[in-house]
Amino acid sequence: MTTPTLRPPRRPHSRRTRRGLIIAGIAAYLITFLIILPLVWIVVLSFQSNSNILNNPLSPQTFTWSNYVNVITTVPLLTEYANTILLAVSSVAIGTVISFMSSFALTRMVFRRRRFQSGIRLYLLAGLAIPIYILLFPVYRIDIALGIFGTYLSLILPYVAVTIPFNTLLLTGFLRDFPGEIEEAAIIDGAGLWRLCWSVVVPVMRPVLATLLVFNIIYVFNEYPFVSILINNPAMTTVSLAVSQFQGQYSTDYGAMMAASTIILLPQLILYAVFQKQVVAGMTMGAVKG
Amino acid sequence: MLVPTIAFFTVFVVYPVGFSLYYSFTNFIGFGPAAWVGGANYLTLFTNPLFWVSLRNTAVILVLSVVVLIPLSFLLATLMRRNFRGAGILRALVFAPGIIAPILVGLIWVFILDPQFGLVDALLKDAGVAHPPEWIGGNTLGPISVAIVFIWSTIGFAMTIFYAGLQLLPGDVLEASALDGAGGFKQIWNITVPMLRETFAITTVLVITNVFKIFELVYQLTGGGPVHKSETLVSYMYFITFTSQQYGPGMAFAVIITVLGALVSVGYLFLLRNRDSETSR
Repeated sequence: MTTPTLRPPRRPHSRRTRRGLIIAGIAAYLITFLIILPLVWIVVLSFQSNSNILNNPLSPQTFTWSNYVNVITTVPLLTEYANTILLAVSSVAIGTVISFMSSFALTRMVFRRRRFQSGIRLYLLAGLAIPIYILLFPVYRIDIALGIFGTYLSLILPYVAVTIPFNTLLLTGFLRDFPGEIEEAAIIDGAGLWRLCWSVVVPVMRPVLATLLVFNIIYVFNEYPFVSILINNPAMTTVSLAVSQFQGQYSTDYGAMMAASTIILLPQLILYAVFQKQVVAGMTMGAVKG
Repeated sequence: MLVPTIAFFTVFVVYPVGFSLYYSFTNFIGFGPAAWVGGANYLTLFTNPLFWVSLRNTAVILVLSVVVLIPLSFLLATLMRRNFRGAGILRALVFAPGIIAPILVGLIWVFILDPQFGLVDALLKDAGVAHPPEWIGGNTLGPISVAIVFIWSTIGFAMTIFYAGLQLLPGDVLEASALDGAGGFKQIWNITVPMLRETFAITTVLVITNVFKIFELVYQLTGGGPVHKSETLVSYMYFITFTSQQYGPGMAFAVIITVLGALVSVGYLFLLRNRDSETSR
């Protein structure tokens, strides 16, 4: 799943551009180092004793795994990951399928009134301007009214809803530019709507879909306002809620706090590292055009 | 094919917005009946000095973010575009802070900015600074620290959009201008920036809307304190609605934030369009 990039033919560098390249490289390495320094620092602290962090943070001394042992034995991280993955998979699956369906309809189906079509798209895109915080309390009430408060449905349904505007932006942005001739050819060859989507459109859209999946999954993993209000059962805790929980639990044990942070950070960074190529390619194809 | 999307969106986004809007004009306390009080909640907010403090703090963060983040991430994108060894890995690393939960970002930065055990002040003390600044917990620097952390967590995202925009530029224009002797900053300023006008607009609007959503960073770094001096709009609204359970005023606050965020974004785009039509004349 690599995206082809066009490289200009190599030509001999002049001395000036070569020197410029070296300076740019050094500057880029320096800035990147500064940007990831806080993350490195957290990992360093996670191997330090608490008293050392408080009294002498600059000179790491004892290298200890005890913070990690402490966290793993006291925080139910496995349950929290299982809960979060359940939430992410179900809401992202529903959200992606329905946003794809509606974006396909908005860019392909022939409406009797064109204005109606662009009106619906604008209606969905307007959601981009809505801050989550205005939704919190009403959604709490809706969840109670629907009788789903206290279940994961109380989170899954709003998660699907609030990712719709971004998904619509990305998908309609791409689908509008996607040449209709390919689809027409497939229809002439006898492909139905389902086969058309699955074996013609989806394969071409892979980078966009990858971007969409990565962003939606990250959203669900990081979401804090909704879970902090809608989840009050300790057995249903999610990863992002775990942060404030272990903060309360280890309010003075900074080493354990840093170990817990590291354990939460790593899987996310790995997921991103695997998909980062697709993310950049997908953003080029969808978001930039707006 | 459209029905599921519209149904989800209407029930869980549009209806709640209407709900909040309605209850912002009542004396609702979270349960029971609510009486219509007209604009009283809005009036109470406007006479609350802490509302203006949170508005000023948000404005400080907004200005700092736009003035620092946009040029910085753009310049970083032009650097990362060069073909040096490891450029791809650096691009991925710079984006990394953007995928971390804001609640965790705030916690991480406590260990960088805390006056007692934070990395920055420890380094400054080692360098001989007797009274390093109180980045968090003090009276003045709170919003600036929030802006710094916000910039840190958003720079990779903004850089990636600029990078993607740069990839779409026709290479021959840049080459031609380089042959004409427009190198380095001159080329960037005269050729690249104008060609990426739309990318600048999109990134700036995204940054603006994200500033109006900052909550977890404040919650972790300063808790809005001391005595609400470092609250932002959203963190103070959260305090009013959920901590002191004043739902009516809280909803009014939420409505104001939404309107302000939309106004600033639209106003910015409007300014941009006006300037564009002038320059093209």
